[in-house]
Amino acid sequence: MTVTSAPPASGLLCEARGVSQEFKQPSGQALRVLEDISLGVHPREVVALLGPSGCGKSTLMRILAGLIRPTSGEVRYRDEVLTGLNPGVAIVFQSFALFPWMTVEQNVRNVLVARSLADDEITRRVADVLRAVGLRGFEHTYPRELSGGMKQRVGMARALSVQPELLFMDEPFSQVDALTAEGLRAEVVDLWSTHDRNPSSILMVSHDIKEVAYMADRIVVMGANPGRIRTIVENRLPRPRDYRSPELLQLVDQLHDIITGSEMPDVPEAPAPTVAVPASAQPFEPLPDAGPSEIVGLLEYLDARGGSDELFHIVADTHREFGQVITVVKAAEMLDFVDTPKRSVLLTPNGRRFVAAAGPDRRAIWRAQLLEMRLFRQIAEVLERQEEHKVERDFVLETIAMAMPQENYERVFHTLVVWAHRGDLFDYREEDETLVLGVSATPTAAPGATPPSSA
Amino acid sequence: MDDLHEAPAGRNLIERRVRRAWGSAVASLHRTRHLGWVDLLVLAGLAGLLFGAQRVAHEWAGRLQPTVHIDLSPLALPRYTLYSLSRGLLAYGLSLGFTLVYGYWAAKDAIAERVLIPLLDILQSIPILGFMPGLVIALVAAFPSRNVGLELAAVIMMFTGQVWNMTFSYYHSLRAVPEALQEVGSVYRYDWWQRLKWIELPFATIGLVWNSMMSMAGGWFFLMINEAFVLGSRDFRLPGIGSYMSVAVAHGDLRAMAWAVLAMTLMIVGLDQFLWRPAVVWAQRFRAEESASEERATSWFLEWLSHSWVLRLARHAWRRRPKRHAHARSAATAHAEGAAPALAAGTAAVAASPPPPVAARQPERPVPMWARPVSALAFALLLGVLLLGAWRVAHLLRPVSGAHWLGLVGAALTTLARVLASTMLGTLWTLPVGLAIGLSPRLSRVLQPVAQVAASFPAPMMFPVVIAGLHAAGVTLGWGSILLMLLGTQWYILFNVIAGASSIPADLREAARGYRLSLVQRLRTLYAPAVFPYLVTGWVTAAGGAWNASIVSEYVSFHGQVLTAPGVGSSISIAAEHADFPTLAAGVLVMSAIVVLFNRTVWRRCYQIAEERFSLNR
Repeated sequence: MTVTSAPPASGLLCEARGVSQEFKQPSGQALRVLEDISLGVHPREVVALLGPSGCGKSTLMRILAGLIRPTSGEVRYRDEVLTGLNPGVAIVFQSFALFPWMTVEQNVRNVLVARSLADDEITRRVADVLRAVGLRGFEHTYPRELSGGMKQRVGMARALSVQPELLFMDEPFSQVDALTAEGLRAEVVDLWSTHDRNPSSILMVSHDIKEVAYMADRIVVMGANPGRIRTIVENRLPRPRDYRSPELLQLVDQLHDIITGSEMPDVPEAPAPTVAVPASAQPFEPLPDAGPSEIVGLLEYLDARGGSDELFHIVADTHREFGQVITVVKAAEMLDFVDTPKRSVLLTPNGRRFVAAAGPDRRAIWRAQLLEMRLFRQIAEVLERQEEHKVERDFVLETIAMAMPQENYERVFHTLVVWAHRGDLFDYREEDETLVLGVSATPTAAPGATPPSSA
Repeated sequence: MDDLHEAPAGRNLIERRVRRAWGSAVASLHRTRHLGWVDLLVLAGLAGLLFGAQRVAHEWAGRLQPTVHIDLSPLALPRYTLYSLSRGLLAYGLSLGFTLVYGYWAAKDAIAERVLIPLLDILQSIPILGFMPGLVIALVAAFPSRNVGLELAAVIMMFTGQVWNMTFSYYHSLRAVPEALQEVGSVYRYDWWQRLKWIELPFATIGLVWNSMMSMAGGWFFLMINEAFVLGSRDFRLPGIGSYMSVAVAHGDLRAMAWAVLAMTLMIVGLDQFLWRPAVVWAQRFRAEESASEERATSWFLEWLSHSWVLRLARHAWRRRPKRHAHARSAATAHAEGAAPALAAGTAAVAASPPPPVAARQPERPVPMWARPVSALAFALLLGVLLLGAWRVAHLLRPVSGAHWLGLVGAALTTLARVLASTMLGTLWTLPVGLAIGLSPRLSRVLQPVAQVAASFPAPMMFPVVIAGLHAAGVTLGWGSILLMLLGTQWYILFNVIAGASSIPADLREAARGYRLSLVQRLRTLYAPAVFPYLVTGWVTAAGGAWNASIVSEYVSFHGQVLTAPGVGSSISIAAEHADFPTLAAGVLVMSAIVVLFNRTVWRRCYQIAEERFSLNR
């Protein structure tokens, strides 16, 4: 398969049409991870799937590779509906996926043997490809003796050796140290940019905004729950690109804005419902997967910076993935500790009060904020009604599964428990798998009221 | 990964590696091109092997004699050792073959799996005497005049003592191949054979090697029964260490008994040094985890063989052998080839249902094309055999009365009590000792190999000594059999405790020391919980072994007289000796049922607790 083969009529090498994907949860309920995705890869381009963890970008890549069959929709390779593996694809894996019992040379050689190439052809290709990725001299080394960056070179050599039309890379540099990763990205772009050779196109999965701004021609921004395409950003910056060029930084900023805009929309303040709406009709607020210590950490961070900061400053300062930071911010916003106008995050009066308070008072404020949320309120009420003030885990799981069918209820349950524990609202006992009412959250303790100092 | 920290060490290793490779290339030019003394020994060894094989073949082809005379002179022992060894190795070969096929089948065929794995569980619980009569009668009838039938029966009985845990290990390894490696196999389109050879077998090798060692040890356990047993009016005997020991015990010949123990010990040590050590060293290349930190095993035998010029020459020739190669296909046709399997899958899908737009089958359990019909056929055959067997057994069981059944269940409960008592006793001494060994690298380096050899030694060969001691102390066999069971099964607990203790993370141990926890506190808060999951594994294996051992420990011959203790083990032994097949079948059935039931309830619960509360990996 050489690049000179006729271009597909549609102008697309590979295409997903209306692809959706569901996975069965342990209860048998389906969890939708991708919804109605349509995306094509043209010849000679680098496409990046960008999104927070859990948005299904790796799943989408595996569907395009033919490793996973989508629940609905179809995948095409060169205008033909794909019925198995995508014949034009090679994958570079996040975890390297090298065979530890084979030398570098054997790791590459075997994929060529699997294609039944002639012996001398194999030998020639292995030598070529190892030289191309800078592994000459390491032929007889075992992967366990290599650093992360070198391991990923082997992964790249293996993928390139089959001369794929499409090179798929699944977060290829996330397990490689930052400095090495920077060099490897440039090398990948170099290898790709010689147009008379495969791979013709690259599809990469990433959560690193700078990485995709540096590498990709098109950036597919994805959102989670369920995973879908938010927008596609064209990146026409000339190559070679420079990480610090103003144009690239501007693109990074633009991507920041898109992500904050879609992940934390500035919704106009809804008027408080004066008319009583039946409680069962209201939707539950989905709980972001963030721990209390992260949320408190964010508040302290903001406090130390005068009460507000820009979202992507926080990302840069904390060395966290932006998806995770956004989750924490969303969680804090849900507790009404922060507000997020545009790209900045600032402490609300509640948040300021929390940061200023001492331990027991913080607990009380936290609890009060929890009880503002319907899910917590409802469970707390059930707990109060119960004779021994306890309910079984399965009951809560069911409540969550009914109320938020899109969410992974095990994870929501975990978040629920750790949040409640922080406010001493209720506690989870693993021995008998029940939720029990917290020590200081006695049935009489009204929301917001400061309890007698609890030890 | 902490790259800053790792980089220098990694680079050093690489350099060393490169230098080593380069160095050996240069050295091989200078190396002397003539035979050395190592080569002489290697050649002598090969000649010895040939001679041994010839002797064994001669024995197999020999006439079937009603009762073989066993020569109690120590000079006859080398020959007997050779015979026993050949049976053990043949049985192991059989076990390995069975494991590779059965485990692969169970792992790849989701439907067959549902029958194959529970069946394995049941087969594992059947005591050796449950297999014996049928095997011996059928095989001796098949070869009425030659030794082959009896030899085969002995080998297959040994096989039933070896095979099950190997098969389980292989099956579990196949199911546990990391997702990413499987995806590599799919993306780069390995066929089933390449997958097996490059991914699955390498991944399963380490588990298989360790389980092979355990299996071989387990196979020796019933050596004395395998080589000398009474079935109704007939007394079957094959020349070997087991029968030598049996005859020595029957004659009360202490000197001969000591010789037999010595020969057995030498054989086990030899196997360990010449077979298992090298195998373990060789298997290290298949370690899945990528850290280079673990201490590497070494084998003097392998080192020594590497000096042999003859072997190097043979290896060279093997590497240079003309490889059969399908016509080389060019890169261009590889494209079309990639589409071919996809098309095939598509047509299969079309045949099954109206044209679905996407492939019907995910490449989840890739198997060769012919596998499906073969698997279905084999499965049908297996079900047929099982049904036939069940019907035959049901027929056989008809004369067994209700009272008799009740008696057997009662006996089984007595044996259960003994099994549990022996497991508990074993835990009592192995827990502190195992902790001491496992927590001290120095001790475990010295003692682990010793314990391994000790564990491989078939405990029944020590029974006469223990029984003499018990007899002198006035202990009845009812209690004494607990000790006899313990003799064989304590090692499983010990090994697991050692493994558990050595896997306790260093930071937890330092924390315990740092906070000045007393020994009792450390035991309660750290060691016992950390070791618990391993202890459960040890218990399950030990209890399984104890059930099996009940056959020989509730019914022993000593100084020409037979001692029995009431229990299902002695019921089975007595039934086998009197060729009372209905009782034998009933006894085996009751024992298997209780073993499986106990595994499914008590032990599984223990596993759950270990997994949920005491796992260090979560």
